[in-house]
Amino acid sequence: MERILRINKLSKRFGKIQAVDKLVLEVFSGQVFGILGPNGSGKTTTLGMILDVVAPNEGSFEWFNQMETVEARKKIGSILETPCFYPYLTAVQNLRITAHIKKCGTDNINDILKQVGLYDRRNDKFKTYSLGMKQRLSIGAALLSNPTVLILDEPTNGLDPEGIAEVRDLIKEVAASGKTIIMASHLLDEVQKVCTHFCVLRKGKKLHEGSVSETLGEINKVEVEAIDMAKLGSVINDFPGKSSYHENGISFLVTLKEDTTATDLNNHCFEQGITLKKLFTHRNSLEQEFLKILREND
Amino acid sequence: MIRALKLEWLKIRNYRIFWILTIMYLLALVIIVSGGMLLLEWLKSEGADFQGINPTIIPIYDFPDIWQNTTYLATFIKILLAFIVIISVNNDITYNTLRQNIIDGISKKEYIFSKLLFIVIMAAISVLFLFVLGLLNGSIYSHVWGIEYIFDEMEFLAVFFYEVIIYCTLAFLLSLIIKKAGFVIVALFLYTLMFEPIATAILINAPYFSEGITPDIAQFFPIKALNNLISVPFGRYVFMEIEDNVSIKALTIASGWFAIYLTSIFYILNKRDLN
Repeated sequence: MERILRINKLSKRFGKIQAVDKLVLEVFSGQVFGILGPNGSGKTTTLGMILDVVAPNEGSFEWFNQMETVEARKKIGSILETPCFYPYLTAVQNLRITAHIKKCGTDNINDILKQVGLYDRRNDKFKTYSLGMKQRLSIGAALLSNPTVLILDEPTNGLDPEGIAEVRDLIKEVAASGKTIIMASHLLDEVQKVCTHFCVLRKGKKLHEGSVSETLGEINKVEVEAIDMAKLGSVINDFPGKSSYHENGISFLVTLKEDTTATDLNNHCFEQGITLKKLFTHRNSLEQEFLKILREND
Repeated sequence: MIRALKLEWLKIRNYRIFWILTIMYLLALVIIVSGGMLLLEWLKSEGADFQGINPTIIPIYDFPDIWQNTTYLATFIKILLAFIVIISVNNDITYNTLRQNIIDGISKKEYIFSKLLFIVIMAAISVLFLFVLGLLNGSIYSHVWGIEYIFDEMEFLAVFFYEVIIYCTLAFLLSLIIKKAGFVIVALFLYTLMFEPIATAILINAPYFSEGITPDIAQFFPIKALNNLISVPFGRYVFMEIEDNVSIKALTIASGWFAIYLTSIFYILNKRDLN
């Protein structure tokens, strides 16, 4: 897999606050990489540094195998927090500036505006747009040059539920086309839904890094219930694939070993003459993992 | 270079305030350059005379003096061009489009270069305008005619060009430092037309100061340095000795300021985090 971005011991201090502390990260092509962290954990500062608008105090980063950073930025579509355009210009005029900077030609401006649903308003000034429309124009600007990498900072911030769903669909669509996406978010649910890989930042330090499916699949718990709960208890106790279990009100919560699945447990119970009345697989949510990671590092 | 210029052009060509200010500036140039004869005729109608001379025969539009006269007058309204620069830089800061431009893929150097190029083009258009106005007024009112006179003392146009560029670069720098357009405009206006002229006048003329070295210090002030490039030409009509050349000393001091402005712009923008 081709490496898209390498961040090496990047640090940034604002006065007394260490916003980013010796951050090391690598992003490979095709990943949807989520940078997770509470507010003020250094996510936006990190994105600012790799886009050359915030000067790092220490460390370095490298795009696309040592490509000149100015040239690299032309290949990256970015949506950072608030949309920034000239309010006195129309959508088309604003995108012409973006196209000029990115050297990508103006031919697909109309197509892009149709894609983000602003075609009918293309000749209206940016200042007349609603927040959702402004946000959509910045998505359009980011996609204009058909970039290989997309950087998103809190992409659904300030959007209504419909807008949030649209943006998520768009991210999935873009990711499916093989593009690399780097997104910062404090919405765990969002990262869980769209990201393949993620890291957790707190106070500028990286606490954890890994793939979403691996992290979530690390432990699986199964909730089981039968009519004869006492017998079920002893049967579970005999099951070799469990790592632990406990009674949870009217049901048992069984934690399985790594290579065991809920099917194995079901088979085992059936062989021992117990028919389960309920079998429910718990997936860990990223939220639990996230809180666990934060706790572990306290 | 065309690429850098086109970036500025895309930003301003549909910007109404830019066109209003530009038209105001060009109109002001026309009025200030072509209004000399009207002024003299008005003086005549009011009964003014200069040591028995009819004001309308004062040869303010004679070649080649016309170049120093018109460029001297035109420097008074260079502040309008500075306003355009302030608004253009300030837009990029308040709308956060400077940051967006950089994220989209230009370097800070390219950004500075395109703004400076924009300043140079505005100065060039001013000079062209002054040249045409000078030729027109000269052809109507000049008592002297001939290639060797018309194209003599053209260095005043060149110096005017240089002066406008330096002044607008100062405006660029101030907009980066102060960030609030209204405040920069008021500050630059007051400083250029009041604070520094008063300060330098005191340093040069006040009885206590005029004996010492303060008159020499005054010429190093940033606005005074620019004003000294083209000195007041009208003394020659009352038979006074005037500086009718561009002084190398003034040129050196002004260039020093220009270098300071440019270095500061690069330094500030390179160090600044654009959040």
